[in-house]
Amino acid sequence: MSDFLIETRQLTKNYGDQTVVDSVNLHVKKGRIYGLLGRNGAGKTTIMKMILGLTPITSGEVKVFGRNIKGREKKVYPRIGAIIETPGFYPNLTGSENLEIFAKLRGTAAPNAVKRAMDVVGLPYKDKKLFGKYSMGMKQRLGIANAILHDPELLILDEPTNGLDPIGIAEVRNFILDLSKQEGKTILISSHILSEIALLADDIGIIDHGVLLEESSMRELEKKNSRYILLQVSDIPKASLILERQFHTQDYSVSDNHTLRIYDTSLNMAAVNKALMMEDVAVISSQLCNDTLEDYFKKITGGEGIA
Amino acid sequence: MLRLIQTEFLKLRRRKLIWIMLLAALMMPFLALLYFKYLGKTDVDPMEFYRWAAFGFTVFIILPVVLGILCTMLMYEETRYDTAKQLWIVPVSQMGYFFSKFFVVLIYAVTFMLITAAATVLCGVPTGIIGFNWSSILFLLERCMELGGIISFAMLPILAVAACTKGYILPACLTIVYAFAGFILTPVNMYLHPLSSMLPILLRNKEMQGLTLTQDFRILPAVLCFCVWDLAAVAFVNVVLSRRK
Repeated sequence: MSDFLIETRQLTKNYGDQTVVDSVNLHVKKGRIYGLLGRNGAGKTTIMKMILGLTPITSGEVKVFGRNIKGREKKVYPRIGAIIETPGFYPNLTGSENLEIFAKLRGTAAPNAVKRAMDVVGLPYKDKKLFGKYSMGMKQRLGIANAILHDPELLILDEPTNGLDPIGIAEVRNFILDLSKQEGKTILISSHILSEIALLADDIGIIDHGVLLEESSMRELEKKNSRYILLQVSDIPKASLILERQFHTQDYSVSDNHTLRIYDTSLNMAAVNKALMMEDVAVISSQLCNDTLEDYFKKITGGEGIA
Repeated sequence: MLRLIQTEFLKLRRRKLIWIMLLAALMMPFLALLYFKYLGKTDVDPMEFYRWAAFGFTVFIILPVVLGILCTMLMYEETRYDTAKQLWIVPVSQMGYFFSKFFVVLIYAVTFMLITAAATVLCGVPTGIIGFNWSSILFLLERCMELGGIISFAMLPILAVAACTKGYILPACLTIVYAFAGFILTPVNMYLHPLSSMLPILLRNKEMQGLTLTQDFRILPAVLCFCVWDLAAVAFVNVVLSRRK
């Protein structure tokens, strides 16, 4: 069996003439957190639904636990916990009653499975509050509790921090990290919140308009993110001339009327500053910078940033 | 399957409307006293009293409409609250899901008819309209339970439509059309519609006198009618739910 718990090949989904997922090759490694990052409507949920067999595939292939999921749902689903879109529960029942239904259906053997799951997400067990009266954050927590109720090996979480307050987001993040690092669970998580993915994921897939633009580990991505010197000067043409003539570099870009980005970080900045000042170019600021994940996202999607 | 059925009943907790609908079971026994002017009469033939109090409109109109509403509620709520998606990844099989809902409808229909039977006896015996007679009461209970079961099978097509549509308007409207179609088709050909096909099953031993029907009571075509409608409904659900998932 390959190292990948989830593997898709040329996964495509069309709705009529519209292609919402286009030839996606996704690889989720065992024991790691894979962050699927993309704007709203980029195709994240559709990919997750296709992985779970909840929506038909137009073309391509999905392998979960090394094999095609079709026809093996009964064997595969008990090993998966999932939240897709907003978690749906019965509004006339309490959180515990809702989970008891799913525990019964799954045949969950552990007698305190419901209590344990609710404790993990910080919801009171046997509380009288009905699901219909839950806040969005509580609903999301109950969805996560349901996903981990049967102690699955693989978690597929579609925007699990949606609707949570900042403290709730941090709690869920820590809890997801614990599940991966301490219990060795494999997690596929989608989000449009870049900072969340940056803090959580070991591997990242960037999706835009249904196309997986980039797939790599966070470590590789950090390496790829270019370091540069951000230089703010009074006269850009003169500064450019000095860089090219005296320092023999063309590895820079002009951001605006006063800002240069020099990508050749081996340059001696003291010498550059001195040379500029000698030519009457005022140096307003000079600093070594790193591209953020957002910059990288902008660069590869060729557009606006993300939250 | 038993787990599925058990969870279906757990889902009904605090659903007041479903229990309030059972009150409709009392409607015809009380109306029989007033509308059919049994109040004040004594020693009426029990079969005749049962015909109006328990079997007539209750079986052909009231219970089918109540069951149609129940079918619509059971299915629509799963779509409305997006719970079906969670069930598929448990996994729950589509047909297991459908039949567990059907089982709820079956139990509900039998309960409804038993309440009708109890109300009929309570309206008939203490008022002196009918005399207390164990054999006639047991006949009433037996037929009510039987009819409860048969009507739930007759409502299977409505449950199928409710399972295959995401809204509630179509199954609710179809319930009305379906119930009245059964009523209207009875004098034409009672073996065309499951609700009208109940009549030969109900009257198979000719215990009830006074009913004048132009057609022969034959059990086989009635059972065949049920089979055709129910098999078509199950096949329809199987195809649609598989596609939807």
